[in-house]
Order: sequence, then structure tokens, then C-alpha cells
Amino acid sequence: MNEVTAFWVLAAISVTGALVAVRKRNLVHGVFALLVFFAGLAGLFLLLLAEFIAVVQILVYAGAVGILILFAIMLTDRVTGKDAFRVTSRGSFWGTIIALAVFLVILLPTIREIPLVENATPKDMIVEQSSVKELGTNLIKPYIVTIEVLALLLTAALIGAVTAAQGGRASEKEENAE
Amino acid sequence: MTLALHHYLILAAVLFCIGLLGAFSRRNAVVVLFSVEIMLNAANLNFIAFWRFGANPELLHGPLFTLFTIAVAAAEVAVGLALVIAVYRHFRSVDLESLDTLKEE
Repeated sequence: MNEVTAFWVLAAISVTGALVAVRKRNLVHGVFALLVFFAGLAGLFLLLLAEFIAVVQILVYAGAVGILILFAIMLTDRVTGKDAFRVTSRGSFWGTIIALAVFLVILLPTIREIPLVENATPKDMIVEQSSVKELGTNLIKPYIVTIEVLALLLTAALIGAVTAAQGGRASEKEENAE
Repeated sequence: MTLALHHYLILAAVLFCIGLLGAFSRRNAVVVLFSVEIMLNAANLNFIAFWRFGANPELLHGPLFTLFTIAVAAAEVAVGLALVIAVYRHFRSVDLESLDTLKEE
């Protein structure tokens, strides 16, 4: 019973956080709602006994991504927006319709009561099997090439991000120097 | 009442569609970017839920795939925000409706 209560509370927190983040006019408030969403999702991961993923979620999303988005908002204009200024885009009506339609299509199997997975009960043995050590062993053994590719991707992305973010100004400086 | 797989799947569908709604209906590029983050997180929730309730949980495929997704999403956020800043420097705005240089007059 406790688990069910925790699920509903965490689900309410993350759905509210996501809705506020998407709907808020003030972008800084939106980012804080987004952090609440990330924290709620980390709680759900804990509930599913994926404790390492929950920790990574807090570290990467609530930590790094949140701060990064906050900086991007501060570096660009219009944090709150003028009151006369529309927040929504021109096609927002059709956007809402499409989002609802996608939601209904995703839920079709539930509505038509198609059984999703044959044995839909969590197994108790996971509790001691999902340790971080186990995860590390499983990560290194078959996926070592993938990790290396991922490291390369992260490096390339960060170099690309720095180049894209300062590219214009750097070339201007060079022209001025010449 | 006990928790079943479909609770998590429906929650993930709701979160995904909230992200979709944000990506379709907002004008600010930063908001569109974090709507995409909400959608990616909903997908991660699905991975973990299927791992927990599916067959062979001892192989840890769900958490492993989620780890890779989180790493790629972090790279995506870094590049996306750098692009937003580059666009802002060029157009003096992050309003997606004002970025219509490619549109035919």
C-alpha cells in the first residue's frame, strides 16, 4: 500500500512539474518546475529499484542540465516576456490537438485492453541483484566499445558546443586584430 | 491495489505528451529544448519500467540503455543550448517565429 501511495505522490509531482515547466510565462520559474519534475522522476526510478539511475538522474539532470538551461536563459533575452507578448506559437492550437492525438494513439492498447507483458509482476530477486557493482560489470563487459564511442561523442559535442557558442565573437576578434 | 506495468506506461505517456505539447506550442527556443528533455525522460521511465516488470531483469538492459540515453541527452542539451546562444547572437532573439530567414516571401 505504501508503494502505491508513493507512486501516486511522485506521479503527481512529476506531472505537475512538467506541466508548469511547459506552461509558465516566466522562464526561470519554468526551469525550477523542471527541476521538480526531474526530482520526481528520480523518485520514480528509486521506486522501480533502479537506485543508480536515480542518482545519475539527480546528478546529470537536476544538477548539470538545470544549471546549463538557467545560464542559457540568463544569456538570452526576455526572461519574463512582456505581458502583451504571446507565449504560444502561431500553430499552438494544432500543436495541442496533435499532442492529444498522439496521447490517445499511445493509449490505444490500454483502451482496447490488450495485455502488454505476459508476466507483469516484478521479481523479488532484483533487490540484491541490482547493485551498482553488478551494473558496472554488465556495463564494462559487453559494452566497452559503446562506452568508448560515447566518450568520443561527449568530447565532440562539448567541443562543438564551445565552438558554436563563441564562434561569432572569436572570428570578430581575429578580424579586429588584423 | 498493487502497482502494475501499465501505471508506469500511462504516466510515461502523459509526460511524453506534455513534452510534445510544449515543443509544439511554445515560441521560446529554450522552452522547446526542455520540452524535448521531458520527452526523453518519459522514454527513460519506460525503459526502467519494462526492465523491472519484464523478463530477464538480471541482465540489466533497462538501466544500461537508460545510462546511454542520459549521456546522449546531456550532449544534446549542451549542443542545443550553444545553438540557442549562437542564434541569439545572430538574430538578437530566441523567438522561434522571428527566425524565418529561409521562408519564401
